[in-house]
Amino acid sequence: MDRNKQHRQVALMRQSLFDQGLLDEQFVQLEELQDDANPNFVEEVVTLFYRDSARLILNIDQALDKSPLDFAKLDGYMHQFKGSASSIGAKKVKSECTLFREYCKAGNGEGCKRTFQQLKKEYALLRKKLETYFQLARQVGPVETACRRI
Amino acid sequence: MEQPSKINNNEKSVQQGFSPSGCGDLIATKKFTALVVDNDPICQIIEKAILESQGVETQFVGSGIDALDLLATGANFDIIIIAWVLPMMNGVETTRHIRAMGIRSKLLAVTACFDERKKKAFLDAGVDEFIEKPLNPKKVASIMREMKK
Repeated sequence: MDRNKQHRQVALMRQSLFDQGLLDEQFVQLEELQDDANPNFVEEVVTLFYRDSARLILNIDQALDKSPLDFAKLDGYMHQFKGSASSIGAKKVKSECTLFREYCKAGNGEGCKRTFQQLKKEYALLRKKLETYFQLARQVGPVETACRRI
Repeated sequence: MEQPSKINNNEKSVQQGFSPSGCGDLIATKKFTALVVDNDPICQIIEKAILESQGVETQFVGSGIDALDLLATGANFDIIIIAWVLPMMNGVETTRHIRAMGIRSKLLAVTACFDERKKKAFLDAGVDEFIEKPLNPKKVASIMREMKK
């Protein structure tokens, strides 16, 4: 596949992440922080996010298994999770975090559990799509002009 | 010969770095410094990168206690960014202690989850601005523009 076609494929893949509502403007802001000194900044941050948040996911899973539920603790975990998810532009994950916190405030354990299952799905889906995107982007190499359309 | 004061009094010359005193000296470009107080490693890295992209020399610490210890050594920062959730001492308490130390740095509170109660608590404690995460470069750029005036 010629280079232009490959770049177009990467651009389309990137655009689809925004079109599907998986990413928001914050991701673009992070891309704009990349430079020659830090060409893989976004990928590194995303990798760190998934590594770091695995611990939080486990904590939340364990806390949801307890009875009675400690909503304050759950809220605290989710507050932290939302902070890092929003910092990488993970739009759907962030929405599920907000919903989860609303269920915590309402003391609705079933709502929390249901939302958390959805959150984990969105989290895993985003991870898979970003891994594919970053892998292809690395293979193809940098584009010469910015492609900012979102 | 044209009077230097005429050149140096105009705003454009000041912006170019010439002293308004008319002596032709260049104003040293101020290097801003920032401290990020946030225990989330992702937020630490991103907030630091955003600040550094605006030319701000940045350090980060993971707790309010560490921030107070650092400030007590005499370390000086133009901007201090404080998260709500911090271990041992939350962001509001940390802010109160910082202001009680007489520190006049620009304090920005950041939180993942906005609510009015939180905003009021932070503002009452002494922050200058309250921002919902994520911190973004446009917001930092506008703060820097204000500070440079």
